[in-house]
Amino acid sequence: MAERIIEKEKKVKRHSLSVIIVHWTVALSTFLLFFSGFGQMPIYRRYGLVNVPGFAWADNFVINSQIHYAAALVLIAAVVYHIVFHVSLKQFDIMPRKGDVKESLLIIKAMLGMGKEPPSDKYLAEQRLAYLFIALNLLVLIITGIIKVYKNFSLVDVNYTFVTWVTALHNIATFLLLFGIAAHLAAFIFKANRPLIRGMFTGKVDLEYVKHRHSIWYEKLLQTKKQDKSM
Amino acid sequence: MDNISRRDFLKRTAVAAAITGGAVIGAGQRKTLAENPAAGEGLATLYDLTRCDGCKGLAEPQCVAACKLKNQDRYPEPIEDIPDYWPQKKHEDWSGKRDLTNRLTPYNWTFVQEVSVQKNGRTYNLSIPRRCMHCDNPPCAKMCPFGVMEKTKEGSVLIDHNFCMGGAKCKEVCPWGIPQRQAGVGIYLKVAPKLAGGGVMYKCDFCQDLISQGKEPACVSSCPKGAISFGPKAEMKAFARSLAETIQGYVYGDKENGGTSTFYVSPVSFKDIDSKLKEQGNGPRMHDAQNPLETLNGMGKAMLVAPVAGLVAAGIASYKTMKGEE
Repeated sequence: MAERIIEKEKKVKRHSLSVIIVHWTVALSTFLLFFSGFGQMPIYRRYGLVNVPGFAWADNFVINSQIHYAAALVLIAAVVYHIVFHVSLKQFDIMPRKGDVKESLLIIKAMLGMGKEPPSDKYLAEQRLAYLFIALNLLVLIITGIIKVYKNFSLVDVNYTFVTWVTALHNIATFLLLFGIAAHLAAFIFKANRPLIRGMFTGKVDLEYVKHRHSIWYEKLLQTKKQDKSM
Repeated sequence: MDNISRRDFLKRTAVAAAITGGAVIGAGQRKTLAENPAAGEGLATLYDLTRCDGCKGLAEPQCVAACKLKNQDRYPEPIEDIPDYWPQKKHEDWSGKRDLTNRLTPYNWTFVQEVSVQKNGRTYNLSIPRRCMHCDNPPCAKMCPFGVMEKTKEGSVLIDHNFCMGGAKCKEVCPWGIPQRQAGVGIYLKVAPKLAGGGVMYKCDFCQDLISQGKEPACVSSCPKGAISFGPKAEMKAFARSLAETIQGYVYGDKENGGTSTFYVSPVSFKDIDSKLKEQGNGPRMHDAQNPLETLNGMGKAMLVAPVAGLVAAGIASYKTMKGEE
């Protein structure tokens, strides 16, 4: 079991190496997809990015498409890995639960100094909601993206109206994802969330932070520890 | 002229016509083809460069005049104060040059190039009508970031003028740079005219309204020399090959950019024609155009590996985790 209390270091193992690699693979491929995706429109020449040293190629639609395809390949592999890995291990801590919207509001209020923050499990309610929002948009982008790749083959006849809607959906999901990622990063404006940043690099977070904020998860970790000892 | 007419060709190739689904030229049959995409590869035109003389002696080539007359109500009417493409201090405006017919513009969707090419000590003065080739796998339509270009079952490639943002990507990915932009018109004016979009793109639409009714495009019916043939694509392709064989000439448009719905037959090689066009620098060339989608489609196939790789890696990782390994 990857999650455990490390008393000696006063840390808690929060993420396995697998989770860290998938997170950053998705982050990097998504960044490349955003860059090359926006590069499908003629904005890099118009707005002068091509004049920045090292970016003279940025207005080349074919190069941008090649980057888009390569990054999409990596993203699809990472997403399939993520789903299969966590479903096979029955790890669903990050899936939204009933009452998460209400609980998120309470957490945000508490961070703004209004009221007491409710105890959290491994993930905060808003993290679970953010995950669902980002995951759904990524799935829409992947499915519509696959259709867009398929229609590019010669001898393939995909209905025009369908392609127009698929393209519109792909473009809308792009902006929603951009918003979702901006919100994900904006969460770290709040000091209370910052101990989690370390977790996504080292896999570990401070024990005191977990005791204080993720008390439900901490109790579960204690139970697991007891069970392991009694075996 | 040691040339065969389309009528002769059709007589001689009754067998070929049978192979192509009994596609003998006839409006009724053409209508059937237009209504049923499965009936063939759509429609096509053939330019016989041994017949076209650019309508010498007339004020302008008749195909150009007919195209302008047919489409006059569809030309852009831009707003008076056209905004620049911020932060650049320019915009593309052809509205003051509506009468220009010696090049493609948003107000002129076909024009005739003139070249002189030497072959075996003889000079060939060729007139080459140019417009959209209506490619089989059109990169302009497939790569449009807003998906507002259509390849119809009749074979034409259309731009939806109501939703085109005028980024001109279609012109850039077209090997011949055919679509032309007019600023100050279109949906971009209603979104963020100073920041995004650039107008609307215009080009030949193969007279989609006519061909979908089994009629000929305006340029075809207006040609006084019978230099432009029109019909089912398989038939036009066979005709182009046969004609080229008869005159010991060359065909352009069959393989270029992965295949098109426009064939040119010339007594001199298109390589020689292209060198002249390149030298003259007057518009679309006749080079060995490669379809940019081809390089992408190889990567598209490779994408099939992605889910398999993810699946296998997850299987191994989850097994190791279950066994207590990290």
